[in-house]
Formats: sequence, C-alpha cells, structure tokens
Amino acid sequence: MSANTSAPMTGGQTGQAGPAGVGAGSVIHDLGYRRYDGLRLGRAQIVRALAWHSFRAAFGFGRGAKAKIVPLVALVALCLPAIVNAFAMSRGNARIVDYDTYTPTFRDLLMTVFVAVQAPELVSRDLRSRVLPLYFARPIKTIDYPLAKYLAFTGACLVMMELPLLLLYGGSIANVHGGAAVWGQTRALIPGLLVGLMWAVVLAAISLFLASLTGRRAFATGAVAIFFLLTFTLAEILLQVESNLNQVGPAVPVQTGPGGQIVKHVLPPAPDVAEKVSGLFSPFTLFDGVRMWLGGAADPADGVANPGAFGVVYALVLIAILALCLYGLAARYRKARLA
Amino acid sequence: MSVIKIENVSRWYGNVVAVNDITVDIGPGVTGLLGPNGAGKSTILHMIAGFLAPSRGSLTVHDVPTWHNPDIYRTLGLVPERDSVYAFLTGEEFVRATAKLHRLGNPGAATRRAIEMTEMSSAADRRIATYSKGMRQRIKVAAALVHDPEILLLDEPFNGMDPRQRIHMMELLAKLGAEGRTILFSSHILEEVEKLSGTIQVMVAGRLAASGDFREIRRLMTSRPHVFNVRSSDDRRLAALLVGRPYTTAVELTAKGLQVRTSDFGAFCAQIATLTRDQKIALRELLPTDESLESVFGYLISSQGN
Amino acid sequence: MTPPTGPGAEPAADAGLGAVAPPVIQAAALTKVYPGGVIALGGLTVTFAPGVTGLIGANGAGKSTLIKILLGLVEPTEGTATVLGHDSVTGGEQIRQVVGYMPEHDCLPPDVSATEFVTHMGRMSGLPATAARERAAEALRHVGLHEERYRQIGTYSTGMKQRVKLAQALAGDPRLLLLDEPTNGLDPAGRNAMLELIERIGVEFGISIVVASHLLGEIERICDHLVAIEGGRLLRADSIDTFTRASQTLLIEVEEGLAALQEELTRRGLRPTAYQRSLLVPIGGDGTYDAVRDTVADLGLPLSRMEQRRHQVEELFRDPGPAGPGTADSAWEAADVR
Repeated sequence: MSANTSAPMTGGQTGQAGPAGVGAGSVIHDLGYRRYDGLRLGRAQIVRALAWHSFRAAFGFGRGAKAKIVPLVALVALCLPAIVNAFAMSRGNARIVDYDTYTPTFRDLLMTVFVAVQAPELVSRDLRSRVLPLYFARPIKTIDYPLAKYLAFTGACLVMMELPLLLLYGGSIANVHGGAAVWGQTRALIPGLLVGLMWAVVLAAISLFLASLTGRRAFATGAVAIFFLLTFTLAEILLQVESNLNQVGPAVPVQTGPGGQIVKHVLPPAPDVAEKVSGLFSPFTLFDGVRMWLGGAADPADGVANPGAFGVVYALVLIAILALCLYGLAARYRKARLA
Repeated sequence: MSVIKIENVSRWYGNVVAVNDITVDIGPGVTGLLGPNGAGKSTILHMIAGFLAPSRGSLTVHDVPTWHNPDIYRTLGLVPERDSVYAFLTGEEFVRATAKLHRLGNPGAATRRAIEMTEMSSAADRRIATYSKGMRQRIKVAAALVHDPEILLLDEPFNGMDPRQRIHMMELLAKLGAEGRTILFSSHILEEVEKLSGTIQVMVAGRLAASGDFREIRRLMTSRPHVFNVRSSDDRRLAALLVGRPYTTAVELTAKGLQVRTSDFGAFCAQIATLTRDQKIALRELLPTDESLESVFGYLISSQGN
Repeated sequence: MTPPTGPGAEPAADAGLGAVAPPVIQAAALTKVYPGGVIALGGLTVTFAPGVTGLIGANGAGKSTLIKILLGLVEPTEGTATVLGHDSVTGGEQIRQVVGYMPEHDCLPPDVSATEFVTHMGRMSGLPATAARERAAEALRHVGLHEERYRQIGTYSTGMKQRVKLAQALAGDPRLLLLDEPTNGLDPAGRNAMLELIERIGVEFGISIVVASHLLGEIERICDHLVAIEGGRLLRADSIDTFTRASQTLLIEVEEGLAALQEELTRRGLRPTAYQRSLLVPIGGDGTYDAVRDTVADLGLPLSRMEQRRHQVEELFRDPGPAGPGTADSAWEAADVR
C-alpha cells in the first residue's frame, strides 16, 4: 500500500479545466500521511536542543507564571547589590561590593535557594512523570540525557553568578574615569568571573545529583537545601570550636607604654591545621578556601580564614566532589529503564 | 434462589455517588459485573464483602446483612484488585496464613487443596515478590478459596494475565460455578466476560443499566434495528426480495455480502429460511453482527437502555 | 491442529509477503539472562514480516527485555537481533532513529500541552525545530486530537493520553512502531477507536507495526501476523489467517425448537451435536447448507444464525483437553479432524 499520494485530485478530468466560468479547476488535496525526507539532526544537536529546553526550564520558561517566581526573584535579588553599588558610586563613593566575594552570605543563601528549587524542575519532574523511556527510545545515548541536563543547569547557575557581576562592572565603569580606572575594574572582574564559574560548575553537579535521586520535587528540594545548610553549619561549628581553642590563653602584652597601658598585643596565631580542615566540610567554605589560595582577598564575612598552602587540599576535595556527583548523576541514568 | 440480595443500595462519598440505587439478586453460577472504569463495580463488591457500609439500602447474603458481620467470612471469599499480598512470604505461607486466620481445622490440607486448584503447586515455595502479575492473581484466588467459601467475589481478576493463564482461570471459575457456588466477578474487558458468564450485570455511572443474558438483553432493545450479515448464492435477488418485506428497514450490498437491517427480529428469523428455500437461493451465512457483548454494552452505555 | 513449535524446531515461517519484502525484525537464538539467574529470553528465534503483527504471551520480564533489545538499549547474552536491517548491538542509534515506541505505562508530563510535548519529542528525534512543529501538528491530527491539544495533558482522559503517546511515536516518521498494550485502560468505545487508528496506520500509512497485547480478540481483528512467545521462547509465529482458518463445521442457532431441530437433522442424516445454545453440523459439501436450511424451513423455525465456524487464536493457548467424546468442545474439534 503506497504511503502517500501527493498529487491533488482536480475537479473533472485530470489536467483539464473545470466547466467554463467556474475557474481553472477545483482541487481536493490529499491530507494523508506524509513521510519525512528532510534533514535529521545528529546526537550533538539533539543534546543541544534538550539542553536549551532545560536551560529555559531552569528559569521557569515553558511552564507558566508560577514556575518563574523563584528563579527570577532570586536573580533580581542577586542583582540588587550591584545596582545599589552603582547608585552609591554615582554619589562619589568607592565601590562597595567586591567582584570576588560579592555579598557572601547573601549569595550563599540565594544560590542555595535557586539550586534547591530549580534542580528538581530539571530532573525530578521527568522521573515523576516516567517520561524517560521516551527519551531513551530516541537516537541518543543514555549518557546524553544527564549530560544535557548538566550543561543546561551549569549554564543557568552561570547566569545567576555572572549577571550580577557584569552589572556591577557596568555600574562601576560608568562611574569611574580614565582608562586606568577602567582597566583596574576589568582586572578585578576577571577573577570574580572565574569564581562564578567554579561555583556554577560545582553547585550544578551537586544539586542535580541529589535531585535525581527522587521524583518528588518537594523531597528533592528539601534534600538539596538540607545538604547545603547542614554542611555549612557543620563547617562553621567546627571552625568556631577550633578558633575558640586557639584563643585560649592570655593575650601576651609585648609593649607597655608610659603609665603601664598595654599598647600592643601579640596577634592571634595563624589558623592551624584543624581550622583549615574544618573548611573542607562545606562547598561554600571550599569555594572561599580555593579562592583565597589562588590569591583572592580575605573577606571578614568569609566562612574560613586563608588556608595558605593547604588550599591545594581544598581544590582537590572540590574536584573530588565534582567528579563524584557527575559520576553519580551518570550512573543514575545508565540503566535505560523502560518502565 | 438468590444468595446475594441487594435492595435499593446507594453509596456516596460527599457529592460523589459511587453506587446509585441498585436493586439486584445474584444466585449460584457465574455472574459478570460489567461497566466502564469508575462505574461503581469495586464499590459494590466491597459492600457485598462487608468492607463498606451502604449509605442507604440493604445488602444481605442468605438474608443476613454483610456489614459488621465477621461471620460472613466463613462463606465468602474476596479477591481484591489491588496487590494485597505480602511479597516477602512464599505463596504457600501466604495461603496457610489465611487458612489459620479462618481457624480451619486442618490448615495444611486446605492450603494444599487451594494451591492445587489454582495450579500454583510448582511455584508455591517461592517468594511472592518473584511472581508475575498473573501468578499473584492466582495466589490471591487460592487464599480466597482456602476456606472453601460458597461465595467468591473477584475484582478484575484477569488483569494482566496472559492468554493461557486467563483460560485456566476462566475454567476454574466455570468449574466452581458449576459446583453451585456463587461467583461474581467484575471486569471492563468484554472479551473475557463474554466467554465466561451466562448472566451479566451492567453498571454505568453507579446505576444498574441491564441484567441478564446479554443476547436476551439485545433482543429487548427493540428501538435499535438488528443488523445481519447475509451471504447467499444470489445476493442481489435476495436483497430485492428482502426490501419487499415489511420487517426490512434497509439492505446494503457490500463486497462481503448483504447487510440487512430489520425492525422485527422475530419476523425476519421466522421467514428467512422459508424465503430462501422457496426462492431456491442457497444460504451460506447468516450472522447477527451486533449481538456481541461489546455491541450490547456499547448500546447500553450510549443510550442507557431501551 | 499443528502442535506448538518447541525450541530447536523450525518455527513456522510467516506467510506474509515473505519472499518479496524483507522482514522488519529478525531474532536468532536471542537469549538474555540477568544477574541472579533470571532467564528473560531463552533462545528466541523468530521473524517479523512487514504489516501489523501481534505479539502475545510475553509477559513481564520477557516482553520488556525483548523491546529493550530491539531498541538497542540492552545487549543480549547470546544471539542476535536485527531491526530494519540494523544489528541491535552495533546499530542501536540507527534503529532508534526509525522506530517509534509507545510504552504501556503512563509516561506523559501533566503540565504541558500535547502540542508542546509532541513537538519537543519530535526535536528529540532529531527533527529541526520547524519540522518538529509541523510533524507534531500532523501527528496529533492523525490521532484525532483537535482543540484539546492546546490544553495540558493532565486534564486528558485515558483515551486522549494514549493518543498522545501514539502521536509522539509517529512524529519522527518511523518505519516501525512498537506499541505496548495500546488499549490498556480504555473503555470499549475507546478501545475500538484506538484499534481503528492502528489499523489505519498499518494500512494507509505504510508503517509496520508490532502490537503487544494479551487480548486475543483485538489481535485477531487488526493483525496480519501473530508471534506467540511463552517462557522466553517462541511458541508459534504465523499469519493470522492460519489461526483463523475456517473449520469444516457449521454452527446453527434457532430462536426456539432447538431440540426438535436436532432430532430432525439427525433423522435426515446430518449428525448434529449440541453446543451451548446452538448446533454443530459437519459440512459434507455445499449440500449441507441447503439441507439445514430446508430442515429449518420445513419445521417453520426462526433461524438466527448460520455460519461456518472459524478457528480462533485462543486455541493456541488451550491445552489439548482431557475432554472425552460427547462433550461439545471436543465434538466440534473432532469434527474438524479429517
């Protein structure tokens, strides 16, 4: 049975015009099934299409208004410090927000909220609706699904991290004069962007992996949020304990002025190994540690103190976490379950 | 002699009326309870089994109400639709546990008998978690049979069974029905019901749409003309003859023969043999096309009766 | 009745277009053993011809394993499978390019519209954006979803959801469709509509279809061929016509007077047997029909059915019964054995 006939059926005999005065032949078109002989895109483009689709979903696009609330509010909130900074600078103040650290606790919190709420949108939904067999029955490899999701979410986190920085940059150079000043801003921006990249790559991996463990979005959000909260609190507690221990003992006066007042104290000792290790227990403190190891400035709101040469351990641990989460994510989807 | 008497029974959940004023008697033999999903079949079965109370009306087995009546379980077995087995038990353990719950005198023998009846002897020592869906159904039936009940209620018993298992289950139910037990099973797959039960009860949206033998039900639908497929040695001449008869409303000539619509089933049947004989037309096939349970059911659903 | 084909024996070759058109699926000694010793498939050797083929009897592990192997998602422990000319192990992606799969279970997200979903799935099949949109719209039209397609899938009835599943399988223009229990959960009207749709696809669209189902009536209705699997092995593969060939028995029903009819037919030497509410008469030739008709007319009985019995697929699954002579079933089967 032939699949289709694309030749339309003309009124009257084929090829002949209809009765005079009615026009040059009426036609009934065949609306039967049509084959597709056009271009077929390969795996790479399918992955790209899925990644783009997921990237949009990370900001709630393609889903209706309610889904956009959390991500867009988070993005706007994260941009606010940059806007405030531009405003302040226009009044003649120096830049109040850093490129490296931005607004540390604020950013920690907002990024946690963002990944906790949005990672499930990307992976838990599909698990819940059991749509995966339809993906796996397509001309892609099973690894392509988690790959596309990871690329998409890293991109989304990157936007969250870098857009505020770019706004900060724009606001700053608008308020400084002279090539040297602009160049100074640019030089400060670059490390900030790299820090943002580090955050995006790792946060996306951790949150997607955790979210892929369950199809229930509420549980997934809870799991991700609790993970970040708990680890951060743990690191902080350990740090507090350590630094309290360090400060035990009298501050030794070194120099007394006339009248016996203490003029100078010995500075608190550099963080010892135990303190440095505490910083390994939370991704956020790991980020700070790596940043400082690579030469970034310390910030009083940092979770940890500068680890110095120990920073290489921080970097290794971060890479290990990244590798583990990516492996876990891939393993989660390795067996193509059709049911 | 009715075993189960249902009188003006309704069951509602807030605004949702699951069963709406049903009156029916069910006797020994196999009865099929039919209806689309959500028609109220499960609800009725659970009420008969005493798990749900009717919101109104009375449900009695041997004239004793089933609600709040644990004694009823001596004579009644229910095979529910959902998976209600403990997957970590072996088949044999599960049936034996049920036997003990019934306080049977010899649980071992009863268990063995029930398992043999459902042909699960070879798999009885394996854990239920390893069973296929059809096997789980059968072990549930075994558990429901272990106390040799007079009444057996089954909710969608053929769900997920492959053809061989289905045939075996049907033969088992037919045998039990022939022994004088009262078997009531629900299904939304007509193909299964057609082969098994003589009497059907059709439920639509909580109401009882029809009762009895489905062929007879069809005959009762006088508002719908019956459709016959007829093949003969001279279709065209036969068509012309039939058109001349008062009981014929339409005749269609197709590649496969004649399709005859008649408003008077009885008259058509009474005259067709004589007509073809006298006119020397050889009759090769006479087939009522819409007598299948599926057609009858379709008519009932769409027009809810006559 | 031909005995079922066991392992090792040559399975009955399909009687379809065999010599002219290449088979769509070929399995040779296909075996899959899972860790833990579960044997899902144990040496399955079968050929699927073009057209609509029913797949019966493979339940649970066997069926889902077979589908995964055919889609190139799982490697068999032994043996090979070829789908539309591609080997399932080395050509998995090519297979998935030309095969559409409709799963048995719920697999649709509730919060997108059918249009969006099928378009997205079209893109996942490798169609460029515009083509995906157009083919999605066409596929939804073919399956009969109209304005509903703009509503969210969560608001759909089961029948509509099944159609969406079918549409997403069609959007990529497959050469072969694998439909797993397509009428699952549908009421009789919905089942009818789905079966008509599948038949239309098979006949008009020129796409080969494999329908996995356990409802034999459905399979008899729309399939050209049948593959029956049992215990991970081939039970029988043949064209449906072979299974539903006519038997040499005539079935007669009258609205009243059955006993009298039986008596008179016996008297006239036609050897009727009672069967449920009808009579079975062995066909000795064309004359049998006339003799029966005349008897009914002579007795003035209302004739409501006269048909040559056909065999049914179901018989494949019936064990040869212990029924002795005298019971109706064996009688009409015995009448057929010549």
